[in-house]
This record gives sequence, structure tokens and C-alpha cells, in this order.
Amino acid sequence: MSTKVLVIDDEEDYRIIIADVLRGAGMEVRLACDGEEGLRMLKENPSEVVLVDWMMPKMDGEKFCRAMRADAALKDIPVLMLTVRQTADEELEALHFGVDDFVVKPFRAAELLARVRAVVRRAQTRAA
Amino acid sequence: MRIRTRLVLLTGALQVFSLVLFGGGVMVVLKSAENQKTVAAEELLRHTIARTALDALIQRDQVQLLSYLNFLKGQYPALIYARVSWSREGKTIRHEIGATGTSAAINERQVVVSDPSQPGQAVEVVFGVDRDILRAPFAESRIRSLNILAIVATGTLLFGLLVAIFVSRAMTAPLFALGRLAQEIGTGKLGKRLEWQSDDEFGALVRAFNAMSARLEELDTIKRNFVSSVTHELRSPLGAIESFLSLIREKVAAGAPEGFKQSSDYLERIAINVRRLSGFINDLLDVAKIEKGKMECVLHPIALPAVAQEVCQFFEAKAFQLGVTIENRLSAGPLVMADADRVRQVLVNLVANGLKFTAKGGQIWIAAEQFRDGAARWIEVTVGDTGRGMEESDRVRLFQPFTQGRNVEEGVAGHKGTGLGLYIVKSIIDQHGGKLEVKSAIGQGTQISFSLRVAA
Repeated sequence: MSTKVLVIDDEEDYRIIIADVLRGAGMEVRLACDGEEGLRMLKENPSEVVLVDWMMPKMDGEKFCRAMRADAALKDIPVLMLTVRQTADEELEALHFGVDDFVVKPFRAAELLARVRAVVRRAQTRAA
Repeated sequence: MRIRTRLVLLTGALQVFSLVLFGGGVMVVLKSAENQKTVAAEELLRHTIARTALDALIQRDQVQLLSYLNFLKGQYPALIYARVSWSREGKTIRHEIGATGTSAAINERQVVVSDPSQPGQAVEVVFGVDRDILRAPFAESRIRSLNILAIVATGTLLFGLLVAIFVSRAMTAPLFALGRLAQEIGTGKLGKRLEWQSDDEFGALVRAFNAMSARLEELDTIKRNFVSSVTHELRSPLGAIESFLSLIREKVAAGAPEGFKQSSDYLERIAINVRRLSGFINDLLDVAKIEKGKMECVLHPIALPAVAQEVCQFFEAKAFQLGVTIENRLSAGPLVMADADRVRQVLVNLVANGLKFTAKGGQIWIAAEQFRDGAARWIEVTVGDTGRGMEESDRVRLFQPFTQGRNVEEGVAGHKGTGLGLYIVKSIIDQHGGKLEVKSAIGQGTQISFSLRVAA
């Protein structure tokens, strides 16, 4: 069964790139342009992992994470944060509001895939 | 030598100088008073002797005179000797009281009295007065006065020096503080201020210094914004280009037929990113020109509606995609003196800006209006939008390079930029001699107007 992934990013380029990489690895990818849309899509139909950009209009990555962690049905879904920020303090802050791992833009396809798979595997181990 | 030390030494020297002058003057005055008193005392003695001699002559009483002179000699140690010559009908009787001294200080005086009612009768008294002895009590009091004066002078000097030290410390305190502050700023602690309120030169210096410090901080912030925005603005499209290229490479290697369509889409994305990069680099070059003062505009009479039409057409596709309409409200009007390329650049920047902040269903328009300013006729061009508008605080910073509205995360999709556009716009309009105005409020859209002179 293919892994279901939700990608939330306001930059069209990155939506296309991430979708291509993940679909190429056989995953089932849905796309959203901002946090609100992503949250709505997730409530309708949960994914196994969420990739969310930090810097977005309307609802940014941080607000999205907090909203998701507050929702009992969604709080166990692993989240990968896409970021151009790299300071250790900010990463630590992000871990506090419930991010499981980071992917720093620009990234290599192999790294993105490896991180997504690692996060999914950890979540499955936890569930089992 | 430190300024403090110099000030104290200078004050001390001035004080010593004025005290010496004053002391010298006082000494001269005291000395002459002493001389006058000595002379007056001598005169008093002479007067007393003359009165006594006259009394004795009238009463024909030699013994009275002699005993009185003896009494005087006892009373006045300065009276060393007295010789009396009593003449009566050609005979002279002499008496001598005390020994005739030889001291140089002895002043010999003579008193002659005669009785007009008794011719032939006369008394002559010759007496020696030792002026040193006469002067002694006066000299003593003068020395006492000078001693008091010396004590007072020393006190004054010490007090003056203390005041000088205190005042010089107080005066140089802001200098020292400024020195420390300058050192801190030199080591990179920017934006430090000095709390110092005064209306004097130091106050002015501190104010100028604080202004300089604030400006340095501002420049530093601009520099940091510049670095981070350049980094982001270069890295983001470059990263996308890199990713697209590697995706294309994989598809080409796989050779699948559906990969071909995707690859050609990706090439289009690469082209968009390359345009974004080159646009940014052109902006940077323009800013570099502005900073060097080399942003030159060649003014010719041009027709504005044509330029506005070009700009509207340029954005048509993009606006359609965003669900925003663009309207050119310019009708045929007089020609304006302007650089067509630069005016196009201004309109492109303003419309692009409007698109960034205007949500789906919104509207952007370009309008123009003529007005007169004295003899000159102007055209005011306005680019308006129905976007989210901005706050007063953002409006002020609008034309500074590398700054954007702070509420970036609440912006509209695709809201990105370097903050260079409006800075370039302002410089171009300045070059045209025109004015740039912004009307905006949150929720009420934004109207940016600039004026161009009508060609004569």
C-alpha cells in the first residue's frame, strides 16, 4: 500500500518538485497552498505524513502544527517541516510545537525521500 | 596631558597670578598707610611739644616745660632726646633731656615759640624722634594684616582648585562618556545612546553623536536585511532550478514518454525562476546605480497612455491567473517630459506591487489627472488597488530599501519580494523632479501617485 502524503507549501515550484519526487517513489501525494486548506483536507481524509512549509501566508507552518496537535484525530500524524531557517534555536522551538523532523530548502531528492520514509517508519513502530 | 589636568593647572595658575597681583597691591597700600601714620604720630608729638612750650613760655615756667618733656620722653619711647634753649632779654638758658643719639633713624625736629606780648622771650626745642620706634606698632599691624591675607589667599587658592577639579570633571564627564560609547560602537555594539540633556555645546555634541549612532544602526539593519533578502532571493529560485534540473535529468534517463511532457513543464518553471533571478539582479544593479548617484534619466516628450497600455498588457496574463483585473484609465492627454523606459519601470514596479497585495476578485487601475503648480503644468499618475492596504508605520518605511511590511505572514499568496522596487521608483521620480505620494489604510487599498511635468 502506498504511503499517503499531504504537502502544504505556498510556493508552486516546491509543490511541483516535492510531488514529483514523492510520486516517483510511489507515494500518494495531495497538495495544499496554505495551512487552512491543508487542515481542511487533512480533516476530510487523514494522511500518514504531512510536509508543511514554515513561512506561509494566512496560516503558517507553526500555527498549522499547533492546530493539528490540538485535534485529537490528527495529533499522532507525523509532521515534517520545510524551512529555509537553519538556526538551532528555531529548530528547537519547532520541536516544541510538535514537528518531527526538518527538511531545509533547497534539498536533494534523496534526502527528502529518506527523511519522509524515516518519519513514517518511526510512526509505524510507535503505533505497533 | 589630560584635559582635566590642564584645566585644573590653568585655573590654579590664573588664581596664583591674580592673588600675587592683589597681594602686591594690598602691600603697597598698607605700606603707604603705615608711612602716613608714622608721619602723623610725629606731627602729633611736635604739636604737643609746641603747645607745652607755649604754655610754659606764657607762664614763664621752665620747670614745667622740662618736667613735661621728661614725662613725654617716658610716654613716647620714640622721643630720644630734647634740647631746650630758653631766651630771655638776650640770655639763653639751655637744658638737655636724654642723650643725643647717632642712629640714622633719628629725625631731628625743631620747635620755636615766642610770646608776641613779651618781645625778647622765645623758647626753642630741638628734639630727636626715632622713626623706627614710632613706626614699630604700625609695622606690626601691617604684618598681622598680611599674615591674615596670606591665610585667606591660601584658602581661596585651595578652594578654587577644588572647584576647578570638580568643574573640570563635570565638564569632561560627557567627553569621557562619549569616548567610551565611541569605543563600544567601534567594537560593533551599534545603536547605543548617551543620556545627556543640556543646551550647551556638549548637549549639541551628544545629540549629534546619538543621531550618528542611530543612523549607523539603521545602516547596519539595512545591511543585514540586504544580506538575508539577497540570500533568500538568490537561493530560493536557484534551489528550485536545481531541483527541476535533477528531475528532468532523471526523466530523460528513464526515457518514459510521459516524462517528456513533465520535463517541458519543468523547463518553463526554470525559465520563470531565471526571469525572477535576472529581475532581481537588475534591481540590484539599479540600486547600485542609485547609491553611486548614477541613476540617470533622459527626458523626452512622451505619451503616457501608450506606456500605461504596454504595462497593462504585460501584466494581463498574470492578473488573469490571480483573478485580478487591471484597468488603464488614461485617455489621450498632453505629452510629459520623461524617460519612457524608466516610467515603464515605475509603472511595472507599482502594478507588480499592487498584484502582490491584492487578493482574488480585486482591481488595479492606472489613472492620471492634470494640475497646475504656479506656471508649470503637471500630470499626476496614480496606481491604485483594492488590496489590503497598509499601516501608517509601514507607509513611512515604504521607500527604504530592503524593508517590507512587517505583517508578511498575513499577506496574500505569493507575497514575496526584496523591498527594492519602491526604493527604485522613488529614485526615478526624484530624477524626474516629481513627487511621490502614498495613500493607504488597512482594508482600504493603496494608491501610489507620482507627478511628471507636462512638456512645453
